[in-house]
Amino acid sequence: MSNGARVLVVDDEPQILRGLRVVLRNAGYQVDVAATKAEALDAAAARPPDAMVLDLVLPDGSGVEVCREVRRWSGLPIIVLSAVGDVREKVKALDAGADDYVTKPFGSEELTARLRAVLRRAADADTEAAVTVGDLTIDLAARRVLVRGEEVHLTPIEFDLLRVLAVHRGKLVTHRQLLHEVWGPQYTDETHYLRVHVAHIRAKVEADASRPQLLVTDPGVGYRLQDPS
Amino acid sequence: MARKGRLRELPLVSLEAVAAIGVATGTVALLEGVAPVTGLGVVYLLAVLLVASRHGEIAALATAVASVLTLNFFFIEPRHHLTISDSRNVAALGVFLIAGMVVSRLAAAVRQRAGESELRAHEAAARERESSLLAAVASSLLSEGPVEAQLSTPGGRLTDAVSRAGLRLELAPTPAPHEGEETVPLQLRSRRAWLYAMPDSGWHREELDRVAEPLAHLVDVAIDREEVAEHTAEAEAARRADVAKTAVLHAISHDLRSPLTAITTATGALSSGPLSEDDRRELLSVLRSESTRLARLVDDLLDLSRIEAGAVNPRPDWCDLHDTVASAAEHVRREHPEHQVELLVSADLPLVRADPAQMERVFSNLIENAVKFSPEDRPVRVSASVAGERVTVRVTDEGRGIPPTARSHVFEPFFRGRAGGAGSGLGLTISKGFVEANGARIQLDSRPGAGTSFAVSFPLVPQPAAPA
Repeated sequence: MSNGARVLVVDDEPQILRGLRVVLRNAGYQVDVAATKAEALDAAAARPPDAMVLDLVLPDGSGVEVCREVRRWSGLPIIVLSAVGDVREKVKALDAGADDYVTKPFGSEELTARLRAVLRRAADADTEAAVTVGDLTIDLAARRVLVRGEEVHLTPIEFDLLRVLAVHRGKLVTHRQLLHEVWGPQYTDETHYLRVHVAHIRAKVEADASRPQLLVTDPGVGYRLQDPS
Repeated sequence: MARKGRLRELPLVSLEAVAAIGVATGTVALLEGVAPVTGLGVVYLLAVLLVASRHGEIAALATAVASVLTLNFFFIEPRHHLTISDSRNVAALGVFLIAGMVVSRLAAAVRQRAGESELRAHEAAARERESSLLAAVASSLLSEGPVEAQLSTPGGRLTDAVSRAGLRLELAPTPAPHEGEETVPLQLRSRRAWLYAMPDSGWHREELDRVAEPLAHLVDVAIDREEVAEHTAEAEAARRADVAKTAVLHAISHDLRSPLTAITTATGALSSGPLSEDDRRELLSVLRSESTRLARLVDDLLDLSRIEAGAVNPRPDWCDLHDTVASAAEHVRREHPEHQVELLVSADLPLVRADPAQMERVFSNLIENAVKFSPEDRPVRVSASVAGERVTVRVTDEGRGIPPTARSHVFEPFFRGRAGGAGSGLGLTISKGFVEANGARIQLDSRPGAGTSFAVSFPLVPQPAAPA
């Protein structure tokens, strides 16, 4: 899956870059590095990578700005490294187009797993008429949802919500983005809508709605539709 | 009271009336030959007018009646009798009497109006004095410093305004008037205050009572304002302390995570698969240096919390700055062998009183800072001098200097210069804390482009006796 994929790692701490370079190389990636916002944008434009691992705190700016810039011309998967411990920064980065985040300090397996997931999604994108995670299949064209081969009935709102998550399968989708795509731009603060409808969807598609495996919560940030771990 | 006053004036009024009638009688006697007597009766009206204007209606009426009788007695036939033979003269005297009554009525009204307006003028003057006092007190209380201080400042704007009005204002639990002063209590909400009128101030008691109320309101408002301002200042200070604390926590969280992340990734990398010998060596060096960095950061944080808690507890001893600086410089040289550190500290520098271990930390921090912020080919210089009753050690670099806007922040925790990203951002904060806990001073002198110099100065103290 990761065969030869090129990853651009952006961090201003040389000691972190040293470790990441070895970790990613041994996971089968080609690694480019950049230490500043300017270097990151130059490197991304000169040799477009297949994915980017991006620190949020850079000496000449914020990772959020890099996300925003890159998204103007590329949909390449971006994982942000957040040392801030601040949910708001993470959400800003995700809203600016990042696909996922890991919090420093992180284990190398965690990073490579997230990287695999976003790269797979990028490879699958556009080609799927139906999305399958675990026992759940969402037929986007026919607007049908199947659990273990049996159709379940979702309300139109529930289906739209699940569709957005399915289209971004594996990606952490922020509250704001979900509300914007399903309800519209004037509803982006009504996070309680999500809580109610997500609970309904879980009751219909999860094996155990109290321990969701497919539609998981990232508290304070958003939701993710993923293969059961 | 008014009646008693008038009775007391009776002899004087009678005398005046008699005199006026006498003068009128004399005048009529002189003019009797050139004009008819009944026409000359007008002269008596002048006497009535005079008395009316000076003493009011009743005295004037009496004068008018007396004038009629006098005129009749002396000039109307038959003379020297109070009888009248000619009926025309009866009519003339009747007319005269009515004219006298009208004149006395008019004169009395004029006199009363004059009296009233005099009273009004007096009252207006009193009110003006009261309001100008209140205005002066208000503008002073509401624009100058604390109420208490204003009231007890001789020659201050408030005391000046009050004493110009012949008054004194005092915040005190019990009244303490000077000799002969009248005392009026001010009804304040939370304190007690007193207004004293000096004996010759010309204030009536009712005027004092009248100004006491608005004066009390003014003082109340000023005290309230002061309390609100104090609360606001406290709230603002608390808010700022909160912001600072959040910033420090933020910085700590970032600073602890960075070396931890480097360590976890290097550890992950070591077990991630086949490694070249170079990779292995590099990853181990990352582990070593990041662990050291982490340990040092934790030490610095402990020092910072001790400094902020006022728990530095230096152990002052005779401190040989030459030795201390040499040891600190050696420390830095071991970590940065590539950078030259020049020592220009004479061995016979006077001893100072300070904790030598803490001073070593201070000079290590300052020298290391200088090394980090100047190019490798530019030596860092440490010099010492004695001047103005102080012993001063100066650590000077030839780096880029500190921009003026950053100068006031360099001693703040987690403030970092452009090039020194690897440090804890606490070195200068800790140095300043140690220096000040030891009774010394630290000063910054920097010229952009020409370098920076930190001067640590100690008071010069009498030297201990040399060992025998």
